[in-house]
Amino acid sequence: MTLLLSIIVAVIFAVGVYLLLGRELKGMAMGLFMLSHGANLGILAMSGQPVRHTPAGATPLGPPILTEATQPVDPLPQALILTAIVISFAVTAFLLTLLVATYRRAEHLGADELANDDRPTVLTGV
Amino acid sequence: MPNEPYIVLLVAIPMATAVLSTLVRGWLSAQRALTVVGLAASSVLSIVWLVTLEPGALMVSQAGDWPAPFGITLVFDRLSGLMLAAAGFVALAVYLFGIASSEQEQGRGWFHPLYALLMMGVNFSFLTGDLFNLFVAFEIMLMASYAMMGLGGDKRQLSQAYKYVMINLVGSTFFVLGAALIYGMTGTLNYADLAVRVLESTTPGGAPLPTGFTAVATMLLFVFAIKAALFPLWFWLPDTYHTCSISVAAVFAGLLTKVGVYALVRLAPMVLAAPNIREAGPIMTILPLAAGLTMLLGGLAALAMRETRRILAMLLISHIGYMAFGLAVMTPAALSGSVFYMIQHMVVMAALFLACGLIEHRLRSSDLAETGGLATRAPWLAALFFIAMFSLVGLPPLSGFFGKFILLREGFRLSGRGYWLLSALGLATGFLTLLALGKVWIRTFWGPAPERAIADRIAPAADRFAALPMHLALALLVAASIGMGLGAEAVQRYTSAATADLNHPRGYVTAVLGPGAWPGEPTVDRAPAILGPPVALTVDASPTETR
Repeated sequence: MTLLLSIIVAVIFAVGVYLLLGRELKGMAMGLFMLSHGANLGILAMSGQPVRHTPAGATPLGPPILTEATQPVDPLPQALILTAIVISFAVTAFLLTLLVATYRRAEHLGADELANDDRPTVLTGV
Repeated sequence: MPNEPYIVLLVAIPMATAVLSTLVRGWLSAQRALTVVGLAASSVLSIVWLVTLEPGALMVSQAGDWPAPFGITLVFDRLSGLMLAAAGFVALAVYLFGIASSEQEQGRGWFHPLYALLMMGVNFSFLTGDLFNLFVAFEIMLMASYAMMGLGGDKRQLSQAYKYVMINLVGSTFFVLGAALIYGMTGTLNYADLAVRVLESTTPGGAPLPTGFTAVATMLLFVFAIKAALFPLWFWLPDTYHTCSISVAAVFAGLLTKVGVYALVRLAPMVLAAPNIREAGPIMTILPLAAGLTMLLGGLAALAMRETRRILAMLLISHIGYMAFGLAVMTPAALSGSVFYMIQHMVVMAALFLACGLIEHRLRSSDLAETGGLATRAPWLAALFFIAMFSLVGLPPLSGFFGKFILLREGFRLSGRGYWLLSALGLATGFLTLLALGKVWIRTFWGPAPERAIADRIAPAADRFAALPMHLALALLVAASIGMGLGAEAVQRYTSAATADLNHPRGYVTAVLGPGAWPGEPTVDRAPAILGPPVALTVDASPTETR
């Protein structure tokens, strides 16, 4: 289970980084969303698999929601994920708003064209 | 151990300010009054607590009386107190400057709640004693700063905001992952608990350090280095500070990079590169490299720039290198120099950015090709800029000198381990700073007044009178820099008390986790050398009593 999760995290990160390396802001934003999902899954992988300790040894259990687990998983990582999800939700909403605002003003979302326009904003009048 | 829950006020006051000033949005004077009161209250509180803190004592708040590794821990010790006091003061001065300029009217009244939210995040990250809460604090601060960058709402600001938003989102992702990995390895996120785990890992009978701990520590170094704008990760800073409005740029320059450095000062000597594992990971190889290159390349880049605001942004980065220098040496004296440099740099950098704002206000540009003649036209501005400039260069008796002096002396004292190299680079960077700022001084203040076409843009006399409050806010910061220089001995007493036991945080761990939690002193500290073999350090193993 942990191995599977690690592989999924790795794939999500690869996709996220690939998207992030593009030159178009929408794709880069999608890449960032993928990265934050990957990080959340990473925390889940960290929380470990529940294990039933018996005199015969430790037997790993399946996901607690699917099997009748007697050994609960550590709840703290799940609290961390919830917090991280809420934060990444807010950041996602902000970034999408920024994209819409930029598109309305610039009428394109190419990173290179936008990056060249960098005159300073000077203090005008009191 | 006593629980002192009221220190949460330093987070709660800015939060209440933000909520209330959202409610009265559109009523400008009420928003201003609220924000000034909120900022003043939290900075006065932190100064009072810092001054009345008994020697060796620190205040700990355990939320809801949950004992330490399980609950939310806030710690007010000398280190966080100094940072809170300096940050509160700078934020207040910059806000007063913002009241005097018209910039706060941008963004339909959202400037004020965002400013308070930014301070909430900054204060929270100074106070927290828990890695995950540090992440939450960073996010609060970053969300506010993302929105403040684009407040003007024009195309340039929006397009430059992406560099800042994206690099910080990548940083946040790595922070979450790093915190998760640390939790998975050690089962705790509390600073004090982590320090104990790391220390126990090399004592006989303790659990060994988990595999890959130093790799995760390096990952966290990457996250904090992005925030602090250390050498390979500073590319986002000059462009973003360039397009946002000047009071936003000043508060960012004063506070945001320092939060990253503070996180390193707090965590690196205690957890990430604790004395007993200092040689194990690559952190102590990366830090001197990053420090030296940040100082030197930042200074050289500042020489290449042709606009005052960009020159200041590059110098800001370059001087972060001095703080990293203290971290790279990581003896109590060097850390004390770092902290001294950090608090004075907050004040001086904000002052220089505000002075740049006033230059732009007079001449409508800070491009060196379009400015000139301000020494006679704006003598007060020239005087204030002159003092702030020499404070950054590091001329006694201004505050910049003493921070540099502590750092360079410590570098030369340990020259057997190769740190003379960093000290020499520090001296060279002081010279580069003088050259870069001298260029600004000559072209903007001494140079000939702009040509006729440009002269039309110079502000009329009535405008000059209205700019008086802005000069007063700038003078407040410059006065603080002079005061910190004249009272350097007192400030230095505080900074060395703040950093005396960062390497061996017995007092911190005992206050947070309770008596008996500290597992005892390690037998020997070995300090890594950047040139030559590691040397056993017996001098630094016992924290020096300075008070």
